Amino acid sequence: MKLQHYLGGLENLGPVSTDVRVFVEPWETRIFGIHTAMMALSSQLSLPKTPSTFTTVWTWADLRKGAESLNPFDYFKYRYYEKWLGGISGYFIANGYITAEELDALTEEYYKNPSKPLPVAGAAEIDERVVQYLVEGDSPKRDVQVTFEFTVGDTIAIRNVPSVEHTRLPGFLRDKTGTIETVYDGAYTYLCDTGPDGVGEAMPVYCVRFEPAALWPGNAEPNFSLYADLYASYLAPLEGEIATAKAA
Amino acid sequence: MDDRFKYRDDREAYSAARVRALEALLIKKGVITDKSVDTVLDFFETRMGPFNGAKIVAKAWSDPAFKDRLVADTPKAIAELNLPEGMAGAEGEHMRAVANGPHVHNLIICTLCSCYPWPVLGLPPYWYKDPTFRSRAAREPRAVLKEFGLAVPDAVEIKVWDSSAQIRWFVVPERPAGTEHLSEMELEALITPETMMGVAVAKAS
Repeated sequence: MKLQHYLGGLENLGPVSTDVRVFVEPWETRIFGIHTAMMALSSQLSLPKTPSTFTTVWTWADLRKGAESLNPFDYFKYRYYEKWLGGISGYFIANGYITAEELDALTEEYYKNPSKPLPVAGAAEIDERVVQYLVEGDSPKRDVQVTFEFTVGDTIAIRNVPSVEHTRLPGFLRDKTGTIETVYDGAYTYLCDTGPDGVGEAMPVYCVRFEPAALWPGNAEPNFSLYADLYASYLAPLEGEIATAKAA
Repeated sequence: MDDRFKYRDDREAYSAARVRALEALLIKKGVITDKSVDTVLDFFETRMGPFNGAKIVAKAWSDPAFKDRLVADTPKAIAELNLPEGMAGAEGEHMRAVANGPHVHNLIICTLCSCYPWPVLGLPPYWYKDPTFRSRAAREPRAVLKEFGLAVPDAVEIKVWDSSAQIRWFVVPERPAGTEHLSEMELEALITPETMMGVAVAKAS
């Protein structure tokens, strides 16, 4: 079990940050740009081929897996883009694009001489694809036939699926009961196959309403509702309803 | 001695050097170009950002029928407006707007990561990405909003939307009183990312 999958509802964390800045250090802009270029150049997208030497897959799922695999103390310790820098550097090393030694050596050079210029190189097609990705996006909606097991107003149970590396099921909703608020039109894939956790292939997605007093018995604020968008494989009929249906 | 609870003394200088080294290596190895990072940053300065969301909300304030369409079918309503190309682009492929009213206040969160509607709001601010906010807003939104300086009366229902699948959410805040004489462009100045995520309400000035 990973704490990062169970953040919702965690207590005793102290005051929230109200910092409205997107970046708090100039260097953070660079890792954001690298990440977004990687997503745009990722090999699973059907965008024009470019001379980029990037031949592997990099999506939000990869970034999230990295954050979810951190020691939970480190997850709270490091700022958002510090985690990105660690995860993305690690990915390029693990996939053989660069070595840890050359990254360390060059870090040392830039540390001593921050104004040392960057190399100048690269084909325009690479950046054209980056812009094309931002403009067109990468919709997970798929034109496939799926069965919608639930309709608006149904009471459903949330499964406690075996999530290992990565999940899109918030931990605080596991084994809880909710009500279908919206049945989204169509079927949606996820960026990767999460294995026994159960998402990846195109399936319905539901918006589910939860009663906070049931999520946090004796410990919830009054007059609020919590809604979550959830892939169909995380939902199950209420057991009592299955029994009723069989009896009828 | 466990150094888990310490930061390096040169924390920012080290990260700055390391990200520059990484960018330099990626350019040298042909993964990205020397202009890739600036291309991305420029896109968020000029084409995807909260300036689009402010136009959408100002239009909804001026035209109640548009507001109804925006809430009913968000991408379709946004496509009516003369906004930059890419309003259904990266992280905006499937968006849904929820409107505040006299009896309901909406708050958008992402407890698992930091899902955010890029085309209309740009990039998420630090408060939204902070694990403390993401943890607490799911259980005690009123207490959290108070820390943002927003007291939501108990009689107003708070709806908290956790972004865990394909939808990227944003809030249509209420139009503040005393703004009847303002043009759409003047209204846009009152609409911040915080009002469109629900940790603030729009104010007349």
